[in-house]
Amino acid sequence: MMRFVLSLLAAVMLAPIAATAQDSEPLHIEITDGVIEPMPFAIAGFIPETQEAGQMASQITQVISSDLTGTGLFREIPKSAYIQNVSSFDTPVKYSDWQAINAQALVVGSVGMQGGKVVVKFRLFDVFSGQQMGDGQQLAASPASWRRLAHKVSDVIYSRITGEGPYFDSRVVFVSESGPKDNRQKRLAVMDYDGANVTYLTDASTIVLAPRFSRDGTKVLFTTFETGFPRIKMLDVATASARLLPEVPGTMTFAPRFSPDGTKIVYSMEQNGNTDLWMMNISSGQTQRLTTSPAIETSPSFSPDGSRIVFESDRSGTQQLYIMPASGGDATRISFGDGRYSTPVWSPRGDMIAFTKQNQGRFHIGVMRTDGSEERLLTSSFLDEGPTWSPNGRVIMFTRESPGAEGSASLYSVDISGRNLKKVSTPGAASDPAWSPLLP
Amino acid sequence: MNRADKIGYGLSGALHVGVLFWVIAGGQWFFPKPNEPVVISQVAVMSEQDFNTMMASAPKDAPQPTPDSVAPTAPDTPAETTPPPETPAPEPQAKPEPEPQAMQQPDPAPDAQPDVSALQEPTPPAEVSDTPPEIVPPVEEPSPTVTPDISPAPKPKQAPRVAPTPAPEPPPEAKVDPQAQPQEAPKPADTPDQPVEKPKEATAPPEASTEIVTEANKTEDKPESSAPLASPRPSAKPKPPAPKETQTAAAPAEKKPAEPKPAETKPAPSEPKKVDSASVNDALAAALGGEGTGGTGSAPTGPPITAGEKDALIVDIKQCWNTGALSSDALRTTVTLSVDMQPDGHPIISSIKLVGATGGTGNAVDQAFEAGRRAIVLCGSDGFPLPPEKYDRWKTITIDFNPEKMRMK
Repeated sequence: MMRFVLSLLAAVMLAPIAATAQDSEPLHIEITDGVIEPMPFAIAGFIPETQEAGQMASQITQVISSDLTGTGLFREIPKSAYIQNVSSFDTPVKYSDWQAINAQALVVGSVGMQGGKVVVKFRLFDVFSGQQMGDGQQLAASPASWRRLAHKVSDVIYSRITGEGPYFDSRVVFVSESGPKDNRQKRLAVMDYDGANVTYLTDASTIVLAPRFSRDGTKVLFTTFETGFPRIKMLDVATASARLLPEVPGTMTFAPRFSPDGTKIVYSMEQNGNTDLWMMNISSGQTQRLTTSPAIETSPSFSPDGSRIVFESDRSGTQQLYIMPASGGDATRISFGDGRYSTPVWSPRGDMIAFTKQNQGRFHIGVMRTDGSEERLLTSSFLDEGPTWSPNGRVIMFTRESPGAEGSASLYSVDISGRNLKKVSTPGAASDPAWSPLLP
Repeated sequence: MNRADKIGYGLSGALHVGVLFWVIAGGQWFFPKPNEPVVISQVAVMSEQDFNTMMASAPKDAPQPTPDSVAPTAPDTPAETTPPPETPAPEPQAKPEPEPQAMQQPDPAPDAQPDVSALQEPTPPAEVSDTPPEIVPPVEEPSPTVTPDISPAPKPKQAPRVAPTPAPEPPPEAKVDPQAQPQEAPKPADTPDQPVEKPKEATAPPEASTEIVTEANKTEDKPESSAPLASPRPSAKPKPPAPKETQTAAAPAEKKPAEPKPAETKPAPSEPKKVDSASVNDALAAALGGEGTGGTGSAPTGPPITAGEKDALIVDIKQCWNTGALSSDALRTTVTLSVDMQPDGHPIISSIKLVGATGGTGNAVDQAFEAGRRAIVLCGSDGFPLPPEKYDRWKTITIDFNPEKMRMK
């Protein structure tokens, strides 16, 4: 009893000391949710250093603004709200003036002409911290490539602020469509990611499908019906020249895709009524059968490291997604949701897989982890299909077709968060987009 | 024969006698009384003449039925003299014409009721003079103006509650109580400790906003067990900057001059506190064998930050924590930032630093840190809602920015 009393007394006496020690700690809080809204930024203008650069400076400013606001992550503050007038590239920034209009990032740049080239200089400032974000940069290119210059500047700004990889300076190859649905003419075309600078790679004499860029962006694989049957063709983007890949008589080949190193092609081949995945060495023409299931296996896509392949198969009775080693072998099913899964594409970052899902009469574009977890659908419409990843793995472009006899296909893009769904501007109907890697 | 037997026989005999008496004479008393004779009132048939005469002498309200029946006849002629031979006959005629004429008849009616008219005569002139009296109604309306007199009183009461930003002050005191409880552990002075609770209540009430009231309620629950804990406060109060305490105390005092209780309660508790603190300090010093006095000095300071105050700070900062432009990796990174604060609630921007990070790479950490720092700078530009009197508690704040709920799902 005495010991108990003493213990109690000691505890009582020490309690204040413990409390004092605890009280001396700084206030600590945890914030687990915030807001998701575009970050306001300002482009103080790309000041032309020469008279002839005036128009180009304005155009470059416009492209940069369009690039950043087009992501849905940024909101440009109208120039009419600007307080400080930046008259030259070296004008000191009055942060208070930009804070007053709630600009969180400020871009100051200039455009000049040197040696027949366009030279663009720019700096990025964090307004509320009152300091420059990274070093200023200077880029130069031929006047014809002024849009690429603008995209490069946008990429730097985007990456510095968000931490994501760049993707503005990239291209998209797609199938340009024209004519009614029952007599649709298709040809390959390539354009900037934002729909500008469209160039046609093939004529409309034959149907073409599913173009795919090589990892370096110099070549395009696609499926053509010029022989009356689906065949794989490889096209050189620079010269627009194409050649058919070796074939096995009596077979149909389609759904090709380059391996990450660009030396191999994985594709589907229908032979004797059975469709399996095959691998071909581009230089030697040697082929290797990857699957032997009596089911239909198609739409293969390499993982970024080239070690695995994700594809669709109906071996379970319905179209589902499977992953197997790049050399073939046992496949693991990763999709288990309701509906049918198809056209899987591995993210350039390797962490996710985009797919098309058909369920209850609706088509969706979705993403899931490579083990099939965390599936989330990003879109829903009458017909969405054929996703392709942006070079940084943050945006997905796909085909959306509208219903009805007058319906047509269009290209859409969406952030992997499901936000910022928007239509990509194209000259006419378009489908089967494939995003190129970031241009050098 | 025993006495009991005698009593028994006696009672038995008395009962028997009583029964016999009831049988013989009870009948006269207990027979049901015959029904009271029914009172029959004589009903005589009234003749029509009698009825008419009665109606004529009746008050003016009655006339309306008669006019209906008599309506066809001239209104001027008194109805009394011409008793209608058959009452049923006139009814059909009265229905069609009636109402318009009946409205005009009231004029003659006064004639038949002299008494009433006489009483009403004064009123007509009054009506004539009513035009000026219209002023009277305005005079009556003023009565509603009395409400303004009432309103002023409530306004001042409400104004101090809502308007005064000091609302945060009450919570702080409520928190003070909890801390004091642990210190009061020394049980020596049990009775004096309980009164200490009163001062707590007195401090809370000043700015009785709804939120504050809730906190006050919490403090009320705590005091019972922690009443003695308040004693250490006195020792701590002298240390913190005097101006702060005086300011906080002064603000409520000015707002509520009429509240004597708080002022009275404060001094009352202070006395016992001093005694308690001294005794407790001595006891602790003796128990710890030396530095007793310094330990209780409570250099750190007064009441802790309440949960409500923490929540208010969180709500304020999270409004500026924009994760929309963060990369996927940054959204998987939790960063801990430290910031030093000015007494006025503004963060010292240059003091913001990264204390720790988990779950992300270097670049992602940088992005997450920038987003957190931006939140502090943006929302701190107006100052954070922190109680000035507890500045020592939030001189430095560490904040975990955990984007778990903001990740793409």
